Amino acid sequence: MAEPTHALSVLLDDDVFALNRAVGVVRRRNLPIASIAVGPSHIPGASRLTVMMQTDDAGADRMVKQLQKTYGVREAELLRAADAVTREVALVRVHAPAAVHQELTEVAELFKAELVDEGPDVFVLQVAGAAWFILSFVRALERFGIIEVARSGIVAVRSAAPPSPPSTSAAETVL
Amino acid sequence: MSETLSGAQILCRTLVEEGVQYLFGYPGGAIMPFYHALGDFPELRHILVRHEQAAAHAADGYARASGRVGVCVATSGPGATNLVTGLATAHMDSSPVLAITGQVSRPMIGRDAFQETDVIGITLPITKANWLVQDVSELADTVREAVAVALDGRPGPVLVDVPKDVQNQKAEYRPKAAARQPRPTSHAPLLADGIAEAARLIAAAQCPLLMVGHGVILADAYAEIRALAERTGIPVITTLLGISAFPECHPLHLGMPGMHGEVHVNRAIQHADLIVGIGLRFDDRVTGNTAAFAPRARIVHVDRDPAEIGKNVKVAVGIAGDAREVTRRLIEAVAPRRCDAWWEEIRRYMRVRDEAWRDGLSPEAICRALFAVTGEHCTIVTDVGQHQMWVAKLFPYRRPNGHVTSGGLGAMGFAVPAAMGVHLARPDEPVWAISGDGGFQMNMAEIATMVQEGLAVKMAVFNNGYLGMVRQWQQFFHGKRYSCTPIWSPDYVKLAAAYGIPGWRVERVDELGDVLARANAERGPALVELVIEQEANVFPMIPPGGSLSEPIETAPAAAAT
Repeated sequence: MAEPTHALSVLLDDDVFALNRAVGVVRRRNLPIASIAVGPSHIPGASRLTVMMQTDDAGADRMVKQLQKTYGVREAELLRAADAVTREVALVRVHAPAAVHQELTEVAELFKAELVDEGPDVFVLQVAGAAWFILSFVRALERFGIIEVARSGIVAVRSAAPPSPPSTSAAETVL
Repeated sequence: MSETLSGAQILCRTLVEEGVQYLFGYPGGAIMPFYHALGDFPELRHILVRHEQAAAHAADGYARASGRVGVCVATSGPGATNLVTGLATAHMDSSPVLAITGQVSRPMIGRDAFQETDVIGITLPITKANWLVQDVSELADTVREAVAVALDGRPGPVLVDVPKDVQNQKAEYRPKAAARQPRPTSHAPLLADGIAEAARLIAAAQCPLLMVGHGVILADAYAEIRALAERTGIPVITTLLGISAFPECHPLHLGMPGMHGEVHVNRAIQHADLIVGIGLRFDDRVTGNTAAFAPRARIVHVDRDPAEIGKNVKVAVGIAGDAREVTRRLIEAVAPRRCDAWWEEIRRYMRVRDEAWRDGLSPEAICRALFAVTGEHCTIVTDVGQHQMWVAKLFPYRRPNGHVTSGGLGAMGFAVPAAMGVHLARPDEPVWAISGDGGFQMNMAEIATMVQEGLAVKMAVFNNGYLGMVRQWQQFFHGKRYSCTPIWSPDYVKLAAAYGIPGWRVERVDELGDVLARANAERGPALVELVIEQEANVFPMIPPGGSLSEPIETAPAAAAT
């Protein structure tokens, strides 16, 4: 999967039908999807769906408009990847015999990963960050023997700095 | 005031409350409680179709002709899946249809019960919204919301799936609260600030065109479009679904654009410097290759649905709004003008059609004769294929919204059942369902529905012994290999007799007027078979993906085989 270019952020009714409908709008455009994440928003009864995808500004704009008219969708906005802060959480189960504890702990510290669970031969490490950071962490653990990786999917918000100039999509260009 | 009713009774009561008069449906296991309750509601007339697809098309036809919600009813499983083509048709053509489906009882859902299908999942992409009613307490409000959503903004189909045990559940029935606001289905800000800019472009254009579509009919904006055209002298093009939005006989009317549009219409588009599109979506059958579409024109696009603006073609000004409201504002904003030089140019593009037809039984002659017997208040419902294009281009539509067809989906089999719905919406006007021999045979079982329910639909079948439009493509683009397109027909006169209705076969043009007049005068349904030339083609034709500048106007020389 190539780098996603856009983050689609959708506020929708907290029910599985609305989620299904919104994802259906994304699916039928048949574009490369890097990540889908959904969870509660700050508004009671509403969820936030984040889709990281590859498209052009015009295609993304069409999708936002389709989402805005979708029943159960309250808001839909499009963030260029450059204008968004994106983060993801990963849980990694990794082989951890006593002999490598020291080394594993050092790698974890380097990535500010947290040891959230441990058994006789297994660590569960939690790491948070941008997608590339998580990937680096997973790669760093490969030599210990990864048992399982679960990633949350990417969530995104608009960055605090002013965004780059908006796209000039066809519909919004008023001569 | 409230009373305790079953879910099935609540369903009926709510439909009555919403002003529903007709239900097109078919009973079955999971919807039986509803059908049991229906007997107590004489306000609701049920039309028993022969296949659920016909129920959905009939509800669609009723909705298009009446502007009200059309309702179809089916049981779970196969009943519900049979509705799918009809719902997809309504979705593509923005028609407010409410489908009510029975579902297996809640404890059985998800267990592959008998006649269980996930109709919510199946119809998600072809409805504006759909609901699985989880408890009887939600039922009445769900139906009210469904009707409101179907009609709100750009209309479209909705589906309410009601488990059998919910139909049997008891609940307090509370009548509809006054002035309940439908939940908005579109949140995008309206781009309505373009009026002044649009008016400036109209004033400055040398070669402007008005292109009007289904949105004009849905918004009842006939008078406004006519006023705008007459104030500016701009030629008016009507898309397939925009036919009858503007009188065919009006001197400013130009014709239909696109794949089978007349040459002068497409040439006008290619030479225009401004296209004001109102209530259309610049479908690929209208534009051909969008990269080569109207290369000199700036486009002003007015549509109810903001998602349509800029979707298919690049627009200079987009105005999201109701066609009537926006056109009114445009009329106020534009100064009167004329387009004399532009009209001169367009007239030079026009040519007389010159096609030889066996015994003269041409689409022109048929449309002329049909118009002569039906008059101005007739509604023509067409199916899909060659006859659809001929009738679209040649019937001189006068009645606003007098043309009903399956445009976006192109669903063969549409005309006959849809005409039943149109007839119920317009019982005092002639309604003709025109089909080819292919599409007619898809849903001809509905003749039985017409007979049983007393629906006076007149049917005409263009019989050329082929799936004509596919055959035409085979002739043009597939080396004349007529693979699986010859189609046998029964004896339609005997078929009519078997159903107990009058039937005629017309093979010569001199029989045409008399037969059509007799069929039109029948008090009940009637069937006319029109035996036309076998390998006639619809000309001109823009090849798929081609530019509007490059029409095919004659059949290619016989290909080597």
